[in-house]
Amino acid sequence: MSRIASGGLIDRSRALSFTFDGKSYWGFEGDTLASALVANDVRLVGRSFKYHRPRGILTAGSEEPNAIVTLRTGAHAEPNTRATMIELFDGLEASSQNRWPNLGFDLLAVNQLASPLFVAGFYYKTFMWPAKFWEKLYEPLIRRTAGLGKLSMLPDPDHYDREHGFCDLLVIGGGAAGLAASLAAARAGLRVILADEDARLGGRLLSERHEIDGLPSSRWAEQSAAELATFPNVRILSRTTVFGIYDGREYVAVERIADHLPQVRTEQPRQRLWKIVAKRAILATGAIERPLLFGGNDRPGVMTASAVSTYVNRFAALPGQRVVLFTASDSGWRTAADLIDAGADVAAIIDSRDTHPPAEALGKRGVEILTGATVIDAVGAPVRKVKVRLADGRTRSISADLVAMAGGWNPAIGLGSNLGARPVWSAPIQAFLLDETPPGLTAAGAAAGLFSLGAALADGVRHALAATGDLGRTPSAMPGFRTSDDSDRATPLWHVPGARGKTFVDFQNDVTDRDIALAAREGFTSIEHLKRYTTLGMATDQGKTSQLNGHALLAAATGKSIAEAGTILSRAPWQPVAIGVLAGHHRDDHFRPERRTASHAWAIERGATFVDAGMWKRAQWFGRPGERNWLETVNREVTMTRGGVGICDVSTLGKIDVQGPDAATLLDRLYINIFSTLAVDKARYGVMLREDGFVMDDGTTTRLAEDRFFVTTTTVNTARVMLHIDYARQVLWPELDVQATSVTEQWATYAVAGPRSRALLQQAFPDIDLANEALPYMGAAIFRWMGSEARIYRLSFSGELAYEVSVPAVHGDLLIRHLFEIGRSFDVVPYGTEALGVMRIEKGHPAGNELNGQTTAGDLGMGRMMSKKKDFIGRAMARRPGLTDPARPSLVGLRPVDRNQKLRAGAHLLSPGAEAIAANDEGYVTSAAWSPTLGHSIALALLANGPARYGERIIVHDPVRGGDLEAEICSPVFVDPEGERVRG
Amino acid sequence: MADQLGVEEIHGLGIATVMARKGATGAAIGAALGIVPPEGPHMATANALTMIGTGPQSWLVVKERAVPDFANALSETLKGLASVSDQSSSYIVTRLTGSDARTVLQRGAPIDFHPDCFRTGSAATTMIAHIGVILWQIDDSPTYHVATFRSYAQSFQHWLSATAAAL
Repeated sequence: MSRIASGGLIDRSRALSFTFDGKSYWGFEGDTLASALVANDVRLVGRSFKYHRPRGILTAGSEEPNAIVTLRTGAHAEPNTRATMIELFDGLEASSQNRWPNLGFDLLAVNQLASPLFVAGFYYKTFMWPAKFWEKLYEPLIRRTAGLGKLSMLPDPDHYDREHGFCDLLVIGGGAAGLAASLAAARAGLRVILADEDARLGGRLLSERHEIDGLPSSRWAEQSAAELATFPNVRILSRTTVFGIYDGREYVAVERIADHLPQVRTEQPRQRLWKIVAKRAILATGAIERPLLFGGNDRPGVMTASAVSTYVNRFAALPGQRVVLFTASDSGWRTAADLIDAGADVAAIIDSRDTHPPAEALGKRGVEILTGATVIDAVGAPVRKVKVRLADGRTRSISADLVAMAGGWNPAIGLGSNLGARPVWSAPIQAFLLDETPPGLTAAGAAAGLFSLGAALADGVRHALAATGDLGRTPSAMPGFRTSDDSDRATPLWHVPGARGKTFVDFQNDVTDRDIALAAREGFTSIEHLKRYTTLGMATDQGKTSQLNGHALLAAATGKSIAEAGTILSRAPWQPVAIGVLAGHHRDDHFRPERRTASHAWAIERGATFVDAGMWKRAQWFGRPGERNWLETVNREVTMTRGGVGICDVSTLGKIDVQGPDAATLLDRLYINIFSTLAVDKARYGVMLREDGFVMDDGTTTRLAEDRFFVTTTTVNTARVMLHIDYARQVLWPELDVQATSVTEQWATYAVAGPRSRALLQQAFPDIDLANEALPYMGAAIFRWMGSEARIYRLSFSGELAYEVSVPAVHGDLLIRHLFEIGRSFDVVPYGTEALGVMRIEKGHPAGNELNGQTTAGDLGMGRMMSKKKDFIGRAMARRPGLTDPARPSLVGLRPVDRNQKLRAGAHLLSPGAEAIAANDEGYVTSAAWSPTLGHSIALALLANGPARYGERIIVHDPVRGGDLEAEICSPVFVDPEGERVRG
Repeated sequence: MADQLGVEEIHGLGIATVMARKGATGAAIGAALGIVPPEGPHMATANALTMIGTGPQSWLVVKERAVPDFANALSETLKGLASVSDQSSSYIVTRLTGSDARTVLQRGAPIDFHPDCFRTGSAATTMIAHIGVILWQIDDSPTYHVATFRSYAQSFQHWLSATAAAL
């Protein structure tokens, strides 16, 4: 065990047991899985992606590329989880990934032998020949070896929630700069949201030994957090990662509510998505330490120096017994001091620079100091020694089981380029910084390139005060902070030449320095191409520890400066995000809202099968026991309706109240036919065109008063027509005095159709006179039912004697039951959308398939409905030659010559003997159905010169499904062509 | 947890959309109803009648314990001033009250419910869980009334239950 005897921010009174790869270990409350593994001397945590090299923990933060494990088991298993971010809990189970049969003995490590083939872009050059091997061999092979972790393939059992946040100031990151900014803003009375990915606030204040105002930095962080918690206008979101910045000053974050708990309470969400709109924001996300590039830098036992300090100071865990520190930065020296004070043996400090910070204390402890020197290779897996090149060029070996590397710091500015602004190179700090930022956002502290503690604190305050001033509020008086010294000088060492072992740049995607050189040689010299060709920075860590090192190599290989070579645009999400949290409650049946009609519950009782019509559920048919299939059911529904009486719920069709002195004028301008001449209590069928002259929608409109019309639309076009009407009255003709509102939900409407419909309804509503003279075809009447207004319209979509009855939807369930109770003695049948469809096809009524946005009124046989006495939307464009050409496909009926064959929608029409090529295509079948009334298949079709060709034969050609047949062209009105039934 | 959130469907309401005709002012409409009409997304209440601003020259009018012909009577009263459409069946109105009510709404609608921005008398036409809603605050408990189209009742209930359970 490498647990340091005292210190750290862990609670030694609370021991926690956990397993990793089936082996049991102990840790403490406050540990992460990574720190507990370090304390338990577990050196090997995974195998790399391509080469299956043994890997250990590289960092202590969310930038971790190597220690990617699968957390939990079964349906809750989460692959590709960074061990450095997993809070240890009692009973935690985790396993390593990407190895078989086990971590210690991974057969796929044989990939390393083929490594000369697996260079950058190898898959563009391999697996190409023979071509027929791709589908059967190469692709399955690649799929099996691709990816890191494995999904459980079980449905995600967790709940995910969502919240909307609003604030004056969003502070992203609760480290030194973030805490200072939050305090300044809170004290000024601003609404503040502070988001930090860790369980406790403080950032690097928890991992480094500093003093602020006489307190240890971790203690100061604790106190600051406590003070912030006292402000009612401050919301602290811990365990929360802001992962993307979007338009409208919107910041989106994931709050991890239960990931650190052994078990989730049943309804407790696992995570919550936050959509935060912030007037101002401060990016206080700190900086990420760069690894150094030398041979074997990916070996277990090679770690970033800041990570070593974190394990030692925060978690009291020692990652190695004998340490070599390789640094190009002053910060590395603080790690050496941390190690020595914790009782570790620091064998040597190898500083690539010629000078180093004052270090008499270290010299006294017998630490060897080598300046102007570099580590060339780390040897052993895990590491057991390093090969060093001294200033004078000689080489030496030094034994060590831990190599701490301090390559300098990269401001963690990825979020700042989500809206497209590319970061710019800063020569003074030798890293990229934000220049343009998303509106309202500024970077502060290390994220702005200010790496020392005092500067970071002051910068946080400065930006908070600026935001306060911007918002017109009074800034609070903020005393300065007294901090311990920490110098931040660094001289980047981008690459150590002469390595024997592989030098890794991107650890997770196994990209080496040679891959980058190869990419440059092959011409992939733009920074974005480099990324895609080598896959540098494309893994789950998105290159947090590799991008800049790779850019520097590319710059060197292409003879450019890093400033010229540039950097990539970081994309959301900043950290991996579970798709479940984006979906929230909207999954499975609740993926989108469902709309139900008033008769829904009743229909379920009657055994309805439902179909989706937009967001609505509509009864498709009502099967009876003993019926073999849906066709038998639908045939029965049609036959019983045409022979007796059937009832169908048509509530989903759009209904719009159009009122006002100019209501009639507006409708005249929207419909192709005239409505201003319609009498009160009369209905008329109307067609609306789009501006471009094509048919948009149809429906019946009833006049209820001089200044009041009741407009209906098809189900699917309800919203479109409402928008059209609103656009017309608000934008096109605002001088008209006309108002319109949707009343689709107000009325439950049932179609009652068939020869016995009048008799049924007369019995259901004895108080209203339904005799033919009292309520003629296309008439309407208002009556009372259950104390409320009710309406009855004599309309027919089925072609039978029929009515539509409407009551307020709150009575809809009552009405359907009443109608069916009365209907018993009439042998009433419920019918659904399929039977509705069969009957309208039998009558040649165009519906959705014919109103497909590509047909004109003329195509549908309604050319003569277009009024010549008035202007209406679409009139001019409908007169274009291409839309009035009589050779256009127009509506006809088809019946198969051999009555036993079946017509199918989608089939195309060819003259007999014509070759089946597109040039000979004369039209297509729009709707087809089995007609139980006629005893054979029928169809509606659009056919060139259709109406002039009744009696002719046509070939119905189905290139997709086959089964071509010959059909006879006929009138689309198959049943009751004289229309006698509706007028009885 | 239960006593920090009260959920109840309100029955027996008369609801109507009122859209001003040309030349009619909100003041004239309000005078006809005996209520000072709200300007913008707010609500005003008098004599068990509530007017909620839903758009320019448009209101949703809600009456408690209304008679079935409420909308027709309203239409008569506002003859020549406004076009009235009965919506008494169109909406289900849910009352949300208690110290957790604000959080529940904040988890559903993308608008700011902080008392600085949304208080008793405020109203909004917005969306919750892909469902259109009209909502208004009636007291400082806080208590809100949330109106959704009747056909979405089950879907809205599902969102409400899941969100309340996650409190």
